[in-house]
Amino acid sequence: MATSRNIDPESRGAVHPLQVGDRAPSLVGLLPGTGAGRDDGLEQSDCPTVIALFAGGEELFAGEREREAIRAQLRALGAVLIALSPDLLWVFRPDDERQSLEPAPRAPDGGPPALFGQCGVAPTGAHGPGLCGLFVVDARGVVRFAHRVRAGERITLRAAVEAASRAMLLPLQDRAGSSRREFLLASLLTGFALAVADACAPAPPLRDAGSLPQEQLDLTLQINGQRHGLRIEPRVSLLDALRENLGLTGTKKGCDHGQCGACTVLIDDRRVLSCLTLAAMAEGAKVTTIEGLGGPEALHPMQAAFVAEDALQCGYCTPGQIMSAVGMVSEGHAKDDDDIRELMSGNLCRCGAYPNIVTAIRRAQREMTATPPAVKGPA
Amino acid sequence: MTAPFAYVRVTDDADAALDTATPGTQVLAGGTTLIDLMRLGVMSPTRLLDINRLAASPSTRWGRIEETDKGLSIGALVRNSELAYHPAVRARFPVLSQALLSGASPQLRNMATTAGNLMQRTRCAYFRDVGVAACNKRNPGSGCAAWDGFARQHAILGGSRDCIAVHPSDMCVAMVALDAVVHVRGHYGAAGEGVTEREIPVEDFHLLPGATPARETTIGPGELITRVTLPATRLAARSAYVKARDRASYAFALASAGVALHVEGGTIRAARVALGGVATKPWRSREAEQVLEGHEPTDALFERAAAAALATAQPRTDNRFKVPLAKATIVRALARAREAA
Repeated sequence: MATSRNIDPESRGAVHPLQVGDRAPSLVGLLPGTGAGRDDGLEQSDCPTVIALFAGGEELFAGEREREAIRAQLRALGAVLIALSPDLLWVFRPDDERQSLEPAPRAPDGGPPALFGQCGVAPTGAHGPGLCGLFVVDARGVVRFAHRVRAGERITLRAAVEAASRAMLLPLQDRAGSSRREFLLASLLTGFALAVADACAPAPPLRDAGSLPQEQLDLTLQINGQRHGLRIEPRVSLLDALRENLGLTGTKKGCDHGQCGACTVLIDDRRVLSCLTLAAMAEGAKVTTIEGLGGPEALHPMQAAFVAEDALQCGYCTPGQIMSAVGMVSEGHAKDDDDIRELMSGNLCRCGAYPNIVTAIRRAQREMTATPPAVKGPA
Repeated sequence: MTAPFAYVRVTDDADAALDTATPGTQVLAGGTTLIDLMRLGVMSPTRLLDINRLAASPSTRWGRIEETDKGLSIGALVRNSELAYHPAVRARFPVLSQALLSGASPQLRNMATTAGNLMQRTRCAYFRDVGVAACNKRNPGSGCAAWDGFARQHAILGGSRDCIAVHPSDMCVAMVALDAVVHVRGHYGAAGEGVTEREIPVEDFHLLPGATPARETTIGPGELITRVTLPATRLAARSAYVKARDRASYAFALASAGVALHVEGGTIRAARVALGGVATKPWRSREAEQVLEGHEPTDALFERAAAAALATAQPRTDNRFKVPLAKATIVRALARAREAA
């Protein structure tokens, strides 16, 4: 991880070539609503900012059509644009249809805008007019992309933001996948595009998360009658904690979005979805999984009924079906097969074993309600 | 796996639950909407305030259902299943029990809370897909992909050019039909001033999207729902909920109706007609109620009331079917309410 360095706002020359991971230069006076006279500490934008620095020529600002094309992409990205030449400043905020195109703020000594120096870009353009520097700053004010245009590179702002907009459409895991990223970084435009897309995406990419300081929770979970100590991040679901941390893989991950029921477990004897439950939320409660219901030597009546009635084909949904059925029987609202179908509707079976599932549940229900209902655990 | 966040558990101090003004904070109750949307990248709070422990805390009534002379008080953390099967709800407020049991699945109803249901977000496929750039609800100012997109699911009432996302709740529709009141606790006025409560009729709790679809309710940072009260009215017992959807169970409404009737001497003295699945918020149709009130509850009257409810509907190409479907659910719900109690 790049160490965060603060750029000296007074620095004028290209002393610190701005790098990814740096704190961005102050944008005071450039963004609307900031600048001299404000004392509320508002210095940065609250959304990702694209900084485009232009040397000399004014072609960027020449065409309203060009600006509208760029604006449309930025609006879709939700990014702020600060385009700056030694003479002109164009700021566009996606949440504000007004745009400002105005004379660039001169440095206190009358020189070119200080942002050039802070970004380490020569305002004259080392290689002629046109786009000479492209930076992406995320909502936290951290530089996510930094590029100074080199000799022979032809790159326009419009092409860059269009690439960024396309990158937003990539699946998140593709955007975050490191090998794919390294491959794509070979292309400058794509690198910029991914940086904008990542900075604009609501969730930071997974791989980057490892470099952030992560809070770890020390939890004690009571599962199938046993206490387990865990040190995990707060974002770990109960499902992942069971499967990945505790090796209890009987509970299945189907959709991971609360739509299929494969991850059903009992918490304090009530059936719930472990995919939408954080492990931390289950602390202090009694969790029962399929492993706690009964083993091969002593099957729970519901497990035995599923075997006897051949209530499965591929078996992937079966642990969730069984846990849900056990919960349903103890709830006591199922009086007939229609009730069973309705009250088991949260468990999908893509093989379509439903008829036998209903038969198995009816069979187990008779047995469970004839004898005292019990959720058998090892302890 | 979601983006990282800090986890704060509130155990016994109800005022600590009001610490929602810290930027990036979301309150975690059942988690059935929030964790789903976090995993999709649609919501990315940096701090979760888990208030579930307050349900069992003796210092709050947040986990309790209490019957009073005035009606029913439902704690914010009462689970949907507990509320649906509560004897008083089944007997005195049947529309609420029916609506809850028509929603989600038993597992989700065991998790989802009363307050969480009020705060649930739309199921608009464009809102839920961060790969779609244009969504004014998720990304203000970015446009509405549904407007020119596939809008079969979407609203025919209460929409704007900026958003036609449907409010997905069944429970809220029943609560509109029952004149429910949302009790909200918060720090008001200058810092240091005490915590007070305010009451919001559920009909006013949700906002129309207008030009600001990202703003969905009247409550803001530093405020939290503590309970919902249902007044004991003469309407409540004769009430019913009818829901039409793509499969027999475990699906969001394409159209639903929650209605309540007070019939005396063969005449409808008062009526409530609320709609779900077709509007941008839990929808109350005063137009339909006016048609009903003062008349004999006949099928022909119900048809006229349904037509009045949908008179201002503005369907898109893909959801024109919702107009007759919504009318049919209203007529059927009114017929069921007429037979009830």
